[in-house]
Amino acid sequence: MGILGKKLWRHIRHNKGQFLAVAAVVMVGIIAYIAMSSSYYNLSQSQENFYRENNFADYYFQVVKAPQEVMKQVEILPGVKRVTGRIQRDLPIIKKSGERATARVVSYTLPMENELNNLSLVQGRMFADNQRGSDVEVLLDPKFASANNLVWGDRVTVVVEGKETFLNAVGSAISPEFIYTMKDSADMLPDPQKFGIFMLESRQAQQVLNMPDQINQVLIEFSSGADQTQIIAAVKDILKPYGLLASYPRKDQLSHAVLQAELDSLRSVTLFLPLIFLGIAAAIQFVILRRMVKAQRSQIGVMKAMGYDNYRIMVHYASYALAVSILGAVLGTFLGLILAGSISQMYAQFFNLPGGMQGYNMKAIFYGFILSLSVGVAAGLTASRSVARIHPAEAMRPEPPQNSGKSLLEKLPLLWKELNPGWKMTLRNIGRNRGRFMLTLMGVVFAVALLIIAFFTNDAVDYIMQRYFYVGQTYDLSIRFNSLIQEKELLDINRMDGVQKVEGFLELPVKIHYQGKTQDEVLLAYPSDLSMKTMESGTGQPIQVPPDGILINQRTAAKLGVKEGDEVELETLLPIGPVHRDTVKIMGETRQLIGGGSYINLQRANRILQERNLVSGAMLKVETGKVGFVESEINKMLGVSSVLSRQKELQNFQKNMASMTYSVSLMILFAVVLGFAIVYNSSVMNFAERQREIASLRVVGYSTQEVSSLLLKENLLQSLFGVLLGLPFGRLVAGAYVKSVSTDLYTLPVIIYPLTYLFSALGGIIFIMLAHRFAIKGIKDLDLVATLKNSD
Amino acid sequence: MQRNILMKLERVSKTYDMGEVKVEALKESSLDIYAGELLVILGPSGSGKSTLLNIMGGMDLPSSGEIFFGDENLSQASEEILTRYRRNQVGFVFQFYNLIQDLTARENVELAAHLVKNPLSIEGILREVGLAERIDHFPSQMSGGEQQRVSIARAVVKNPRLLLCDEPTGALDYQTGILILGLLRKINQDKGCTVVLITHNTAIGEMGDRVVRMRSGEIFSITENQNPLSPERIEW
Ligand SMILES: Nc1ncnc2c1ncn2[C@@H]1O[C@H](COP(=O)(O)OP(=O)(O)O)[C@@H](O)[C@H]1O
Ligand SMILES: [Mg+2]
Repeated sequence: MGILGKKLWRHIRHNKGQFLAVAAVVMVGIIAYIAMSSSYYNLSQSQENFYRENNFADYYFQVVKAPQEVMKQVEILPGVKRVTGRIQRDLPIIKKSGERATARVVSYTLPMENELNNLSLVQGRMFADNQRGSDVEVLLDPKFASANNLVWGDRVTVVVEGKETFLNAVGSAISPEFIYTMKDSADMLPDPQKFGIFMLESRQAQQVLNMPDQINQVLIEFSSGADQTQIIAAVKDILKPYGLLASYPRKDQLSHAVLQAELDSLRSVTLFLPLIFLGIAAAIQFVILRRMVKAQRSQIGVMKAMGYDNYRIMVHYASYALAVSILGAVLGTFLGLILAGSISQMYAQFFNLPGGMQGYNMKAIFYGFILSLSVGVAAGLTASRSVARIHPAEAMRPEPPQNSGKSLLEKLPLLWKELNPGWKMTLRNIGRNRGRFMLTLMGVVFAVALLIIAFFTNDAVDYIMQRYFYVGQTYDLSIRFNSLIQEKELLDINRMDGVQKVEGFLELPVKIHYQGKTQDEVLLAYPSDLSMKTMESGTGQPIQVPPDGILINQRTAAKLGVKEGDEVELETLLPIGPVHRDTVKIMGETRQLIGGGSYINLQRANRILQERNLVSGAMLKVETGKVGFVESEINKMLGVSSVLSRQKELQNFQKNMASMTYSVSLMILFAVVLGFAIVYNSSVMNFAERQREIASLRVVGYSTQEVSSLLLKENLLQSLFGVLLGLPFGRLVAGAYVKSVSTDLYTLPVIIYPLTYLFSALGGIIFIMLAHRFAIKGIKDLDLVATLKNSD
Repeated sequence: MQRNILMKLERVSKTYDMGEVKVEALKESSLDIYAGELLVILGPSGSGKSTLLNIMGGMDLPSSGEIFFGDENLSQASEEILTRYRRNQVGFVFQFYNLIQDLTARENVELAAHLVKNPLSIEGILREVGLAERIDHFPSQMSGGEQQRVSIARAVVKNPRLLLCDEPTGALDYQTGILILGLLRKINQDKGCTVVLITHNTAIGEMGDRVVRMRSGEIFSITENQNPLSPERIEW
């Protein structure tokens, strides 16, 4: 280590607090960058590999029923690389406990290598090609298997056309289309207790479902460069005679959409958050170095007099920033990798992905270092540029008073006169260090904004919960039937012991057409005297389902470009029976915090089907304490495909939200580090610059207490101002944040409770006070004689 | 006696432009500095001594006039040339020592020694200035006189042709000041190093081989001392 290196090292040692505080800000930036970019990289790599290796399909077609042979016609279309035909159907499961759940049965043809969306075995064994046993072999998705404590060899019971059928679980498997297993987009959150993927060999599936040599889904993969629109039209033509229910591209595939949304939001914050931190770290380094150069002006003069050139002296000062950046980058990389590991683990809880998501991404580490070092060196060199302007001869002269201009307030003599000398000193000092004042302000603003974002997610989730589970729906149980039934059959349920009230509903999948645009949507039809559910208008007001026309979901409306008063065409998509068409008027928009769907009157929905009084499910109000009993009674009814209790839905929701606590605590930690570092630094600098002034005050007879309160005043003035600005700024950033993470499937309302503002402000004040305490520790130990003697 | 001219200043002026006012710190001053002499520049505060010294040391450029070091014309020299000149030919000693607080005595000297190809021995020079015991002490642990000795060692270690001292005793008590002056004279004699010493203290003029007197930016007399006093005999 050269002499200048020693000088730097000793300087750092004497000012460790400051050095560590800046390094911590760099560290947080790098932690955020490494953790998020590694997670992004791991997740997207894992997605990409899985999609490629398991031939993830490009396009999906759903028909009522078609002979297997149609595949041959699709296969020969030019531009079609692969085709897979299969059966997919949802069946009720009867669990050992008697509870209901839904199985999505999907058929797979062996050998699988060349089929689309093929399987990767996770545990157990593959189902056999030629099964002789009495029970049909089934593979389960891992989340369902573990949520229901199933082991290989266990029997699972499904109901097919009213008959109980037994399946033998032989293992678990995953597929690129079931990475995120959710029943439909109206659900929003996965519930592995209630929904699972059941994978069967195709002949077995045909036999179980009584669909010999038939399929109801066609999946295709395009060759590169194929004219996709033309192929899609051709396939539709081929499938039309078999009742084409739906067709959608990969991007609308539910699991893909969720995973992609997660990836996109991850990517959008991967640079954003680290850049804020590194930017602020750079600004602090800049200010520290500028002050250091100013304070060591005469030292620099001596070095120049000795014959050191500008370049060497600048490099010396910039090395400080380099040291900060290296320490920050090393610690940040280390902690970032640990964090990345735990984030990947969290993802593994949500997504069914092949293992090995823990890769270290050397590129991210490399970029992290480059990012940190270049920001640091840039700040260092810019700050130490002022070295060149120091004239050696002048540097030996006592420094002229800086910025002798009057501060803004001083120009208002009436006000200025009223201030006591302490305040005058404070305001003059701020006026003299405008750059640092702005930096501190900015840092506190960001830190408080981060606190708000951290707390706000809790508020938003709590709000959703209140709205959805306590205000929006007041039923105790919600039942779905296997098929449409007559409303009067609900009377059986109504007569059950403990049931207080029953309200039927109808879920009607439709296509909505409007001026050439089409959207798939589920119409939720409710009776006009509905009491167990409340709808919200676009602005959050309660709204009734009109007798005629529909209330359309905000997001669907936006996609179609329709507004209140427009007329749209509906086309039903029920898997059985003829297709019905009808024209309805948009009567209003609704906002759903969880899930989707648009609303229609029950009678009106029946008219679309040219039926009367059909329902597909019912909501029940049950006497307290009897919910469990009623649930088990209903589970015994064969026509029931699922029973949801609001209590369990709520638990599932809370479980799904638990991971948020983790990111919230991280965010809070980041905010505190940032706020602390900024305030600490500016206090330390302020203290260092005014040592002589402070020492003089002490010599005159001011107590340590009085001097530190003088400094606190300055600190508070800028910091509190920062807190005040940080609150609305946090609200603004929260809005932008929600926008960037919102997906088709869900959005967070930008709800911030007053208490959150209070907590954020308090949090801000706490880190300000804490930083101040640390920074002024030196006042007591200040060596009055030495300070007043030394010139630098 | 044939004397070699080490440095030549011809009608050197320095004007500071302070916006509204122009300060003529140095007015058309001419001076030859002979190799190996000890030159004392005397003058009241504000008379332009430091300005003159800074120009000699390549810390500053004159507004007009010519300045030569040997054959080299430094009047319009670039920053690079001046830096090289300061590095290889000049040693500075300042009134307030200006040591680097974070470095020990040895390291402060080393800082300068690093800059030249053949520096003197660092320990040797610190012993010569009488600081053998304090070699690893930090400036804050030393008295003013000791700090000034480090500062002299730092200037001399590069083995410069020209040693420029700006009020080196200005911040010291009488006794210590005398010691420092003795040290400078010793360096001048032992190393053959040309010493230019600035002071407002007329008594110190008696130790110079020649004395230059300044008043309001002008040199008004240059006198030669036939018998310069040895520093210990100076009194004020
Ligand atoms: N950088 C400068 N800017 C403006 N005026 C200066 C500057 N340096 C010196 N002066 C002025 O030039 C005159 C001579 O100063 P100086 O050479 O330092 O005198 P001395 O060293 O004899 O006390 C003084 O009036 C001083 O105020
Ligand atoms: Mg002077």
